Parts: sequence; C-alpha cells; structure tokens
Amino acid sequence: MGMTITEKIMAKQSGRDSVKPGELVWVDIESVMTMDYLGKTCFDKFKSLGKTEVFNKDKVICVSDHLIPPPNQKFANMLNEWREVVKENDITHFYDLGRQGIAHQIMVEQGHVLPGTVSIGTDSHANTYGAVGAVGNAVGVTDAAVAMATGKAWFRVPDSVKFHITGEWQPWIMGKDLSLHIMGMMHWNGHLIYKTLEYTGPAIASLDMAGRMTLCNMTVDLGAKNGIIAPDKTTAAYLDGVAKGEWEMIASDDDAKYEAVYEIDVTNLGPTVAKPDKLDDTVPVEELVGTKFNKAFVGTCTNGRLEDIEIMAKILKDKQVHRDVNMMLVPASQTVYLEALRKGYLETLIMAGVAIDTPSCAACAGIHTGVAGDGDIVLSAGNRNMKGRMGSKNAQIYLTSPAVVAASAVKGEITDPRTFAA
Amino acid sequence: MIKGKCWVADDYVMSYNMILQEYWTAPIDPEENSKWVMAGVDEAFNKENGFKDQGYTFIVAAHNFAGGGKSIEHVVAGLMGAGIKAVFADSFARLQFRNAINYGLPFVTCKDIVKGFETGDELSYDPATGAIENVTKGTEFNSVPAAPFVADVGAAGGLMNFVRDKIAKGEPIG
Repeated sequence: MGMTITEKIMAKQSGRDSVKPGELVWVDIESVMTMDYLGKTCFDKFKSLGKTEVFNKDKVICVSDHLIPPPNQKFANMLNEWREVVKENDITHFYDLGRQGIAHQIMVEQGHVLPGTVSIGTDSHANTYGAVGAVGNAVGVTDAAVAMATGKAWFRVPDSVKFHITGEWQPWIMGKDLSLHIMGMMHWNGHLIYKTLEYTGPAIASLDMAGRMTLCNMTVDLGAKNGIIAPDKTTAAYLDGVAKGEWEMIASDDDAKYEAVYEIDVTNLGPTVAKPDKLDDTVPVEELVGTKFNKAFVGTCTNGRLEDIEIMAKILKDKQVHRDVNMMLVPASQTVYLEALRKGYLETLIMAGVAIDTPSCAACAGIHTGVAGDGDIVLSAGNRNMKGRMGSKNAQIYLTSPAVVAASAVKGEITDPRTFAA
Repeated sequence: MIKGKCWVADDYVMSYNMILQEYWTAPIDPEENSKWVMAGVDEAFNKENGFKDQGYTFIVAAHNFAGGGKSIEHVVAGLMGAGIKAVFADSFARLQFRNAINYGLPFVTCKDIVKGFETGDELSYDPATGAIENVTKGTEFNSVPAAPFVADVGAAGGLMNFVRDKIAKGEPIG
C-alpha cells in the first residue's frame, strides 16, 4: 500500500519504513519556531526539563512579531525579557525588530523549513510551512520546549484528504479566494478536524508560492492538522539559495490512500468574501457589492507577501483610496517590505493614500497596531473574523483577498475587482 | 473513578472566548488562568472566578470544543485550575486536544453525549474503562479509554514530567 506525502514524511522522520493513519510516532523536527509573547515561557519550560543547551542552536528559530514595535510598557518589558532569554541561549537565528517578519513568513522565506521534513511553531498558523512540501504544525509551548530539548515531537499520523485543483486561474483571482471557497464548502473547523489536507493538480502547479502559502496557512482554520503541497519546480526555484539545508523531492504514491478526494475547478472561481463572525459564511463578491466599510487592511501571515502587494499596486495605480476609508498595509517581513519598495509598489500605494506600517502581526490578532473600534466595519485580507478578533466585539470583519480589498478601497464599498482592467 | 457535577456547553465553544485576548500575554498558570477562564463564553462567567466558583468537575460539549484557532496553553491550564477533571464532547479542536493530552487533562470524544445531559447533573467517570454514568438521570455512556501513550503521559502528570523523567534516566523518548 502506498503512502501520502505526509505519511512518507512522518515515516522518514521517525526512522520507519512506513506508517499508517492512527499510529503514534515521535518525529525528528527540522526547525522549532517560537515568538515574542510565548518565547520566554518556552525557554523556561525547556530549562525545567533538565537540559542546559537546546538540541541545535541553528534550528530553534526566534522571531519578534506580535508585540513589535512595543506600543506600551507592558509589551516593551516582555520584549526585553525575550531578548535576554534568546541571548542567554545563544540562538543563531533571531529575527528581531529591524530584521523582523511574521514568524511563518520568516520560516519559509529564510529557508528554515525544508521539503520532506517536519517543523513546528507556537502559533496556530504554522500550517503555512506546508507550502514548500513540509509538515508544518502548530503546537503549544510544552511541545516546543520538548522539541528544543530533544529535537522531537509526538504525532498521531493523520488521515489524508486530497483537494485536486484544476482549471485556469482568472484575472484577479487568488489563492485566498480558493481558500475561502473551501472554507465555505467544508465548514469552519468542521469535517476536516485532525486531517492532513493535500492540494494537488494543474491549478496548484500554476499557483505561485505566495498563493500556496495562503492555502496552507488557512488549513488550520479548517480544523486540519496540516496542509501540504508536494515540492515542484516552483518550490525549487523559491528555495534556491535560501534553504538552510539539503532537501529532496518527495510526493505521494499513486496508490496512496485518501479518506476523501474533492475536485475543484478554479476556472469559474470568482472573488470570495467571508461575512462577519464566521469564516465559513462565504459568498461570491457579487452578493456584497455596495456594502460600505471604513477600514481596509492587507497584511498578516495569510496575505502580506510581495505578490499580494503587487496586485494591490496594480489596482491602486493612479487611483485614490476613498475618503471614508482608512487603508493600511503591513508587509509580512522586512524582505517583503524592501522588495516592494524596490519595485515601486510602495510609492504607488502611498500616492493612493495607503498607510504602510513596519512588519508585524499588526491588528490581525487584535493586540497591536490598527485595532478595530466600536462600529468599525473592516475589510481585511487576514485570516479570522470572529467577534472581537481585531479588537472591539462591536466591530464587523469581512475577510477576502488583497485584490478585493484594493478594488473596494477605491470605491468605499465592496467592489468586484474584475471591474478593473487586468 | 472521578465524580462531580457537569456544565453542558453547545457547539463551537471557542478558545478565544475561553481565554479572552487581554489574558493571552499572561503567564501560563492554572491558578491565575482559572480566574477568568470561560469569561467570554457566558455572561454569567464574566467576573473573577465566575466559572471556577460554580464548582464544576466536568464539561459536556457538542462539536469542536475549544475551536477557533489558538494554540495557547492558558485554555487547558485555566480549565484545570478551575477544577475540571475531564471534558466530554462530540469533537475537539486539535490544537487544544493536543494541549490537553500534554497536560494530562482527559478530553474524551463521545458522540452525541451532549443530548443526555443538563448542567448540574452529577456524573461519574472511570478513565480506566471509559465508562461515564449520569448519576442524576440514571443513564450510562461508553467512551474509548485513553490510548497507551496518552495514558502514560496522563499518569506522569503531563508531557513535561514524562519527558523530564526520560531525560533524567537517559532513556529515549520515542
């Protein structure tokens, strides 16, 4: 019996010839990520296990992203403690303010995640790592501390579900639209709890790395254990000169067993929006055209990448953000920020009236820059829209793609980006 | 055998509401986290020790308990600090399911269990056999006992103790 890519990775990383869904395995971890507001606790827990040095100083990746730059003294003090503990443990890779990025972007962009391996992080969107053909998994600080000490984490081998994606991507349609479409189809944290989701097919082969990262990122919000896309030429080109180690191509066997297979043709997929409060309450943009909003936000580990900023710049070139809308862009990392600057996208966006903030998680989790207040209606390219997610419980959050956010920002009401020339 | 009264929840009790945003950056500590656990789930719990003072030992829930994302351990630590000894549900969100195993708090999958319970019912639960009895209503339910690894971690008092012990003895963990 063949194995899926996730089964193969779990077998290889646990030193077995094969594994089956349901088995419990301890796997070798490629990289362990932790970040500012939980990192000190990770290190404290790690120390309490009786080890003095982490399993590999090059493979414990530390990132400041939720609290930077500190907006208040509480966060400033937490960051100071965090910096001290990273220094004490002599960690090689520390992405702090000035070299920062959202942890999941950093992990992939800086090559800490390698195809065919397992990496974990203490933030729920660690599923993003599947975009380069790795098992990426979100854990609590306990698992991270154990991995820091031992280089290992336990897993129950998940059942696999395949999404076979075909057809041609139409202008202005993005990975986010597919992600939200699947959310509506499968229901938020519903039928896919504990599963591994594998995206395959010609429309995945033709999808750029940014789109792949969006797709895998949001598998956690489908309730899945991980989402994965087998490495291919696009992956190899992306990791060229970046990967922090050697890696090999890996793919599911032809006779691998899937619990379910879903077919989706993207040719007819349109811009998709999740209505406030529930991620799976998704509709085609046409149903919401004309809906007023007052805040527009693009950023996060879901949609703060160069390709996302490029599409915004295309739409907003020589246009103006509507005067009733405050629009913010927060690039996902300093690397993304610099590249967007060099390509002229940021100039275009600033001319259009977009505020640009230094890379961080920003308002996505409601604890940093740009939070929503009472009565705000936010059109966001982020990943969650439950009440209170971005601040006030009396705010409404519509989730959609950067293309829809940009087009709508011009009109001051939800707008189909396909009304703009591609 | 564990005995006590239960609180019955609905679908989609979210981690976000179990531990509100303002407490995410607090230390992970059962006593501390239990003061405000469940504060966003029900208005009645939205005061200091609001949930804890109810004296529940069990939670009985429907689908996707502790969902909505968030891998923070304050959720499970808060429940334990509030005196919860086991949670029974149709399904659990995986991030907190994992944390519960790592903390040795039984999250027990038991289909349709919510239909046979009301808040305040007295329960008894035998972790060794998986038997759940609603003493108030005189009904019985079966659940699958914990898998060997989960039981071992639980017996050790959580993954930290489990791993610390292996490291101290120089034994491989897996």
